[in-house]
Amino acid sequence: MLEIRNLTCGYGAKTVLHDISLDIKEREFVGIIGPNGSGKTTLLRAITRILKPQSGVILFGGKDIWRLSFRELARKIAVVPQDFTAGDMSAEEFVLLGRIPYFGKIQFLESKRDFEIAEKCMTLTDTLKLKQHRMAEISGGERQLALVARALCQEPKLLLLDEPISHLDITHQVGILDLIKKLNREYKLTVIMVLHDLNMASEYCNRLILLNNGRIQKSGLPEEVMQYKILEEVYKTVVVVKKNPISSKPHVFVVSEEEKQKREKN
Amino acid sequence: MNKSIVGTVIVFISVFFLLVSLSYSENSETFPQRVISLSPSITEELYLLGAEDKLIGCTTYCIRPKGAKTKEKVGTVIEVNLEKIVMLNPDIILATSLTDSKAVEKLKNLGIKIESFPASKNFNELCNQFLKLGKIVGKKNKAEEIVNDAKNKIDIIKRKTENMPHPTIFVQIGSSPLFAATDDYFIDDFINFAGGINIAENSKSGLYSREEVIKRNPDVIVIVTMGIAGDKEVKIWKNYKTLMAVKNNRIYILDSYRLCSSTPVSFVDTLKDFVEILHPEKRKINL
Amino acid sequence: MRKKIIRWIIWIGVLGAFLLAISVFSLCVGSADISVKKVISLLFKAGSGSEYSILFDIRLPRIILGFAIGGALGLSGVILQGMFRNSLVEPYTLGISGGAALGVSLSIISGLYRINVLNMPVFGFLGAVVIIILIYALSMQRGILKMQGLLLTGVMISFISSSLIMLIMSISRAEDLHGIVFWIMGSLEEPNWFLIKIAVFISLISLFVSYFFCHDLNALSLGEEEALHLGINIERTKRLLFLISSLLVGYSVSVAGIIGFVGLVVPHFVRMFAGNDHRILLIGSFLTGACFLIFCDTVARSIIAPVELPVGVITGILGGTLFVCALTKKRIIAGEK
Repeated sequence: MLEIRNLTCGYGAKTVLHDISLDIKEREFVGIIGPNGSGKTTLLRAITRILKPQSGVILFGGKDIWRLSFRELARKIAVVPQDFTAGDMSAEEFVLLGRIPYFGKIQFLESKRDFEIAEKCMTLTDTLKLKQHRMAEISGGERQLALVARALCQEPKLLLLDEPISHLDITHQVGILDLIKKLNREYKLTVIMVLHDLNMASEYCNRLILLNNGRIQKSGLPEEVMQYKILEEVYKTVVVVKKNPISSKPHVFVVSEEEKQKREKN
Repeated sequence: MNKSIVGTVIVFISVFFLLVSLSYSENSETFPQRVISLSPSITEELYLLGAEDKLIGCTTYCIRPKGAKTKEKVGTVIEVNLEKIVMLNPDIILATSLTDSKAVEKLKNLGIKIESFPASKNFNELCNQFLKLGKIVGKKNKAEEIVNDAKNKIDIIKRKTENMPHPTIFVQIGSSPLFAATDDYFIDDFINFAGGINIAENSKSGLYSREEVIKRNPDVIVIVTMGIAGDKEVKIWKNYKTLMAVKNNRIYILDSYRLCSSTPVSFVDTLKDFVEILHPEKRKINL
Repeated sequence: MRKKIIRWIIWIGVLGAFLLAISVFSLCVGSADISVKKVISLLFKAGSGSEYSILFDIRLPRIILGFAIGGALGLSGVILQGMFRNSLVEPYTLGISGGAALGVSLSIISGLYRINVLNMPVFGFLGAVVIIILIYALSMQRGILKMQGLLLTGVMISFISSSLIMLIMSISRAEDLHGIVFWIMGSLEEPNWFLIKIAVFISLISLFVSYFFCHDLNALSLGEEEALHLGINIERTKRLLFLISSLLVGYSVSVAGIIGFVGLVVPHFVRMFAGNDHRILLIGSFLTGACFLIFCDTVARSIIAPVELPVGVITGILGGTLFVCALTKKRIIAGEK
């Protein structure tokens, strides 16, 4: 579905991504992980046409994304950004903004179908009760859910999420990721998620891509990527990898300085 | 014989018609009866010409002579109230170059006759405008009389001051920035007729530097009243103790109304003041 | 949602009625006292005479121009605030008014305006166009219109223009000086019907065209990146919106001088009462701006008749006071909730 070939891009003189190639197939749930500055956000920006690549090409469904119009792209790919400050509007108005890619040239008001889809998306994300609330008044977790609802209104084939859980408590973290998993499984949505939290990525994604210094260090199943040797090389810190007792997915345990010294004494 | 009779008759008839048409044109030259003045000096001039009963409106600045204060007000020198003017139904409006050009245009579009008097730069222009005004309101003869009288008086003054010493003078009409009266203003005429030498006469623009004044060291400095700014200026000048004008205490303040908007009659009066300033030793020139 | 649409329609209706009422009020008020009955009778029976002339040749053109300019300023204010996502931006921040003022000052001291009175607005508009092209060129970086750059460049150009104008004023003669200062103070007095008609035309067309961007403006309120994600071609939108608002401001300033505050305060006002959706903000700001300017002009020309105050003075004082009052009231209500 999404093919990236030899992508090199960056900001002005500084090149961040070097010759990246990868394929994302339909219904995959991909997690992009890597240390700060490895190019995760840059990759997202390149996929959403915010950044023009210096070389290389990105194809969606076989078509070069730079050949598609902005509207066409918005109907295929939807982005859930990190938390942000919304203007003064109700949650419903905010979610309805996601229908903009479908408005006719001279369409002025939302159609009945727009309302129906918005309602469906809000029900899915359990935000229907927040319909009339102002965006500034709802909590961080609810805001993130509203963002997801808005992205779903775009009826995308591919959903991109940029650090969706970094600022949330574990209740909301699990809530959102469970929702995304459900969307991926039941609603056949392809998902690419940029994440800092390695364990959450391992738990929910069926494929991980580990970036390091603008190159793909390792790509594959969580078991293949989350190996302590690989992680230590990339993150330059001592870690231990063990299986999650509930799900058997690999999880990372950090080794603090104290522990290190204790072990060395022995 | 018949031919000469016919010829004479034709000549008589022609002359008759000529005379009739001449007198007709003089009588049909209906002078405006309802006049609005948009300048204090024009208002004053109308009173001088004895045409004040034709004046139906003037500006809020028209305070001389006293009678003008009671006339209907139609705005300021720059901003005119169009509604007021239309309601007064004038025959002609006398404007200046200061009048808002858009208002002038508007009045023309409304079909009201408007005559513009640009600011006069010297005494000659002042007189010509006065004569023009006289012609417009039908007081041509009176205007000529007044102008000739003023010219005579000025000639007398010129002759008397010819043999007196010619002091150098600087007339300041603006404070920040420092603005001098150049030959663009009829203040220059005051100076010349009173037998003085204007140090700023040939200056291209009125902007003058204090240093230039000090360099030229005029005998007399005249400041046009600008309210408090005038007193301040006097104090500033007095700091420059090397100036002749300061040493001999010849710094004067004069009324701006007289210096900047004038009629031929007030011109002569102000000229007398100037003569006093320039030649204090000759008190009161008798005319 | 139905409720929202009904609220919008009510707002437009209320503003329209307000506009009509203020226009009639303005028609009846002036230094020449014409009773309301007389006004109504003159409206229906064409006549002649000084009263008719006052109504239709003096007051009516001002009301129509007030409608066009007030609407233009309100509309460009809301567009610019939406584009910059900064509610302190107003139509004159971009420096276009400085360019127009410079153009007019040049036409006055060069004496060209005496040849043909039309030269003033033409020069004003040319000055505005030069500045528009300048700031556009300076803010374009590799095909992207940088909004921050636009703002800074505009402010700088404003300063430079004011300094240049002060330079011109210091070397000009008294009559020219008066002309320049007068023009800068702003006035709805325009003798040329052609210019008034163009003003109305430009204002209404701009309103119409701006509606093609109502969704774009709504999306832009989330940020440029977000708007792009929602499928908005932000570069094209920014360029066209910039063009529309520059045209509105340039033309308004050339014809009516600098009438401040309208473009700043009117969008805030409408936002306070009608919300943030640009679908109501665009026409709401247009109508409110028109009402406000017509009202201020009426006050300016009648409060100390026969002397006329510059309309910019009234818009500043009245607008500022009303705004502060409304702001305090809303805060009190919000605090009590």
